[in-house]
Amino acid sequence: MTAAERFQERLLDDARISPRYAPWLDRGPSLAALSETPLPEPRSYTWEYSNPNPWYEQNARGTDSRPNAGKVVASGDTRVADFDAADSRERGIIEANLNATIDRRRYPLAAVNDVLLCGGVVIEVPERARGAQIELRDLGGSFERALLIVGAGAEATLVESPAAPTHRVVECLVGTGASLRHLRLQGAADSFEYQLVSTRVEAGASYRFGQYAQGSGMRRNDVHIESAGDGADIGIHGAWHLSGQQHLDTQINVHHRISGGTSRQTVRGVVNDRAKAVFNGRIHIAPHAQRTDAALSAKHMLLARTAQAYAKPELEIYANDVRCAHGATMGEIDGDALFYLRSRGIGEPAARNLLIAGFLEEAMADHGREEARALLSPGSLQPGKLPRPLTRKEVSAFRLPADAYFHEKLS
Amino acid sequence: MLEITDLRARAVGKPILKGIDLAVRPGEVHAIMGPNGSGKSTLANALAGRADVEVTSGDMRLEGASLIGLEPEARAHLGLFLAFQYPVEIPGVSNMEFLKAAVDSRDAALEREAMSAASFVKSAREAAERLQLTPEFLRRGVNAGFSGGEKKRNEILQMLLLEPKLAVLDETDSGLDIDALRTVAKGINAFASETNAVLLITHYQRLLDHIEPDFVHVLLDGRIVETGDKSLARKLEADGYARLA
Repeated sequence: MTAAERFQERLLDDARISPRYAPWLDRGPSLAALSETPLPEPRSYTWEYSNPNPWYEQNARGTDSRPNAGKVVASGDTRVADFDAADSRERGIIEANLNATIDRRRYPLAAVNDVLLCGGVVIEVPERARGAQIELRDLGGSFERALLIVGAGAEATLVESPAAPTHRVVECLVGTGASLRHLRLQGAADSFEYQLVSTRVEAGASYRFGQYAQGSGMRRNDVHIESAGDGADIGIHGAWHLSGQQHLDTQINVHHRISGGTSRQTVRGVVNDRAKAVFNGRIHIAPHAQRTDAALSAKHMLLARTAQAYAKPELEIYANDVRCAHGATMGEIDGDALFYLRSRGIGEPAARNLLIAGFLEEAMADHGREEARALLSPGSLQPGKLPRPLTRKEVSAFRLPADAYFHEKLS
Repeated sequence: MLEITDLRARAVGKPILKGIDLAVRPGEVHAIMGPNGSGKSTLANALAGRADVEVTSGDMRLEGASLIGLEPEARAHLGLFLAFQYPVEIPGVSNMEFLKAAVDSRDAALEREAMSAASFVKSAREAAERLQLTPEFLRRGVNAGFSGGEKKRNEILQMLLLEPKLAVLDETDSGLDIDALRTVAKGINAFASETNAVLLITHYQRLLDHIEPDFVHVLLDGRIVETGDKSLARKLEADGYARLA
């Protein structure tokens, strides 16, 4: 029996006990998906370069709920409700929309998130609201969920800067003609994280997503964005800067379902020391999605011989009248540029830092630029101070504990 | 100011400089002319400390201090400036950020008080204006998408801000139209003073119509084969280098 199978069996067994957090929420469909779908194994599809086993091990130790941690700051007439305290109207909204955009067979760890949920919020931006600002910090535990509904014609900004490492699933529904800017900032951590952003973009709507990350023990960021209406406009910016033994795996899937949509993905990654970056950027264009205009550019810069990056653009095109461009490169610091800066009196470390920052800058969108710079600037990384990731021995010695570990959450 | 004695250097393993002797005093403008492959750029790169140019013997001294073995940034701090023949494009780093980093590094190395952001911006704008560059130009990425002329003017802008003792200008005139050539020459003339010196490396005499050199040297196959005044440049333009070969 593999670690994934043991974890899954334990999860399904314990799930018979009724959950303590938001017990009214029906976990049935997620449990059903989990009873049919195997969890990711080392080297299974999309997990070729990231080992999920430490994630199972870490979460078999139990979930961590922080009852008073809920921190959502929202402006204006944006409505925010905790799943646990939702009234009947809000429950109706949650039931109607939660997981509407998530294929749980494709993202089974999102279903695990449902079953082990420790904190969740539903956020509603009313139709035609202007300038709504939402800040998501710590939602109350190790398995978190946010459902954001941006009403038709509304304009909102969502900023995520989690105070503690979490497993978080964020679902965004961007209504017709609405506009959502979504900024995620992920600092360094030593834990194993799974995060999913799943967004549906309706006709004439615009979604700008910026994900800026340092690494962690293993951080997996799944991003699924669906262009679901004519003329939906999607822009994705991603930048990461990894050092020490950090590991970051980013899997972006842009699914063009309806005609006339545009999407742009620009990612830049810098990898140092023994760190490892994995990137998969997928553009799926369905048969009806004619006149789609999609592009993907992914560049990595390796700063050490022991640093690793795996980048793969994937195109899956079923329509015949589309524009679709992609490119991926691997490189190092340009020696000519370095000499140029040094010849101007800039010392080598500072010159390298300037070049690294300049490289990452290409993947920084206008919104959140300052925050992203502050997070990723070479000066802000402190690989020496990173908490120690698990050793190979610790990982291989991993066994699921015999006793029920989900009692914290489920009993 | 600059004293080069019997300098020999290899580039990508091949001997290029075969014994260069050159002395430049404060207040002087020297021109080095020569055909393609004569070693002009290798000389410039040897002075600036490019890693792929290996000095095998001889010496280069700037105000008495030997440059041999010094890092490129240390040479800059001593007062050396090289205007590149092909300035490098660095998108993502703004010109202003780059210039400020360069000026700050110099001030730190010379233990001078750092320039305030406001006075730096003011002097950068003034220098840009002098070279007929808009303030917008300072916000763009370093040389990113610049025209050939803009790149060369950006080199001169850096020179004006860094105020080096010795400016080595490697084919700064190449790729310039007549107007840009005039602007660049004006910048160089404004820079040149009794306390600094200029080494112009060029193929053609046309830059020397705008900047009057005190000495003209002809570099051929890694050696200075002739030295004269500005009339030598005219003669070369008329007769070509073949006569000297």
